[in-house]
Amino acid sequence: MRLVIARCSVDYAGRLTAHLPSAPRLILVKSDGSVAIHSDDRAYKPLNWMSPPCTLKEEDGRWTVENKAGEKLIITLEEVLLDSSHELGVDPGLIKDGVEAHLQELLADRMEVLGAGWKLIRREYPTAIGPVDILCRDDEGVTVAVEIKRRGEIDGVEQLTRYLELLNRDPLLAPVKGVFAAQQIKPQARVLAADRGIHCVVLDYDGLRGIEDDKLKLF
Amino acid sequence: MKFRVERDVLAEAVAWAARSLPARPPVPVLAGLLLAADEGKLSLSGFDYEVSARVETEADVEEPGTVLVSGRLLADISRSLPNRPVEISTDGVRVIVVCGSSRFTLPTLPVDEYPALPQMPTVSGTVPGEAFAAAVAQVATAAGRDDTLPVLTGVRVEIEGDRVTLAATDRYRFAVRDLMWKPEQEGLSAVALVPAKTLLDTAKSLSAGDVVSIALAGSGKGEGLIGFEGAGRRTTTRLLEGEFPKFRALFPTEFNSVATVPTPAFVEAVKRVSLVAERNTPVRLSFEQGVLTLEAGSGDDAQATERVEADLEGDDISIAFNPAYLLDGLAAIDAAVAQLSFTTSTKPALLSGKHAPDAEADEAYKYLIMPVRLSG
Repeated sequence: MRLVIARCSVDYAGRLTAHLPSAPRLILVKSDGSVAIHSDDRAYKPLNWMSPPCTLKEEDGRWTVENKAGEKLIITLEEVLLDSSHELGVDPGLIKDGVEAHLQELLADRMEVLGAGWKLIRREYPTAIGPVDILCRDDEGVTVAVEIKRRGEIDGVEQLTRYLELLNRDPLLAPVKGVFAAQQIKPQARVLAADRGIHCVVLDYDGLRGIEDDKLKLF
Repeated sequence: MKFRVERDVLAEAVAWAARSLPARPPVPVLAGLLLAADEGKLSLSGFDYEVSARVETEADVEEPGTVLVSGRLLADISRSLPNRPVEISTDGVRVIVVCGSSRFTLPTLPVDEYPALPQMPTVSGTVPGEAFAAAVAQVATAAGRDDTLPVLTGVRVEIEGDRVTLAATDRYRFAVRDLMWKPEQEGLSAVALVPAKTLLDTAKSLSAGDVVSIALAGSGKGEGLIGFEGAGRRTTTRLLEGEFPKFRALFPTEFNSVATVPTPAFVEAVKRVSLVAERNTPVRLSFEQGVLTLEAGSGDDAQATERVEADLEGDDISIAFNPAYLLDGLAAIDAAVAQLSFTTSTKPALLSGKHAPDAEADEAYKYLIMPVRLSG
């Protein structure tokens, strides 16, 4: 990651043309070759940028970034105030289903959200076709498989249906009921779940996390 | 099957029974309305596994029979028919609807695949239809709409002898209404949690009847069912499960100040002032002797103030409310004068109605409303 703070003007020539008059700006040159020009506001979206793959040609006081389509970002540098490079290495990335995993963890800790007297058997209960998010027992001792999603859609119900079919073949577990738990459940998914005898539960992520809004409540 | 019925009677019955038809039927037969004609009576039934509806009317039955047709289609058709007697008959697997010079041929659905409607439980008692509808409307307004708290989407029905208590809350307000009814047996004590939306629809649709019978069955798990019947209409709905919050202790009994304000002027003023209250911002009420000042908006945004005549007993108080919740409460008390009782500006305020400024407050209906914290 290379950071350059410089007084510069920028011209873009390609599908559209743009011109940024001379001003102090932050130029980011990333390891994939992409170049972005930022002003001192807004959290995202640079003033101008070139996505990879592209090449940066540095001449005295003039940088030219060109992509395969021949579009050019021309930066005319008048005064360089800072030029510093840092090795950041490979980013672990945004864990995409981080919320799902967290919901699973929270719910496993607080089975009473699903019903009084419910007990956890285990998280990530292994089956031949993949792990079931949560396997538990309800207050009557019946085995329940819980599928957790952020957004409850048809494919989540299908997935749970497959697990249930498999789990119900196990004489030690059968009969196994299904619970489809999600932060929001699409009406179609709700209909399908109801038709298959699967109970739907809408989860309150903030509530489970113990994050309360600061509104005054009666209880 | 063959019968004749007046168009208005048919349209009304079909429209009512079709209410409970599912929007997305998981099996085709559930989109159907079951028509059964026998001995001068026509009954129509709809069911979506949660709510069942059955209505019976007089009809000129020539040939008894049972048939299942698309409810939505029949509702649309019966609503649009000219005002003439309607004749409905079967012809093989089709149903023929004839009215004046219009004629419809509808496909039927297999009757034997239609699920059995839940049995109406034994009647527990009766209430006047109109009073019941009014009471339910007063309470259901406070029910929650958030699916993450399913218990709060219901109205709690508590039966204790000849008294019925209805209660609902969304954690920001709590509405409780007591009404008298005629129980079938003495010393009856029961509780139920009824989905608020269904209860509201049901009570409204039965308000025309002199009496509504309420039938409560099975406190046991999974079989909780409540039935309502009046004026030839009968509906059942599955009960919600869960522990409803204990509410009696939430209602304060001692207050530092009590204000009375004429309801119409109060409502008008709140509506006007809240025009500048952006989403999630409150209206601020300052009560002093003789006058209530309402304010909304702050800082650089639009602002509004209005003064309304009001009586205050006790300490002056400044308090802020969500205008929608306040208006819901003011509409629900259904009284000429609103009485607001306060302890402090961060504790719930009690709203009740009075028919005249010097009358006693109505004890039957209470609307507890949580204030909004004022920043800065």
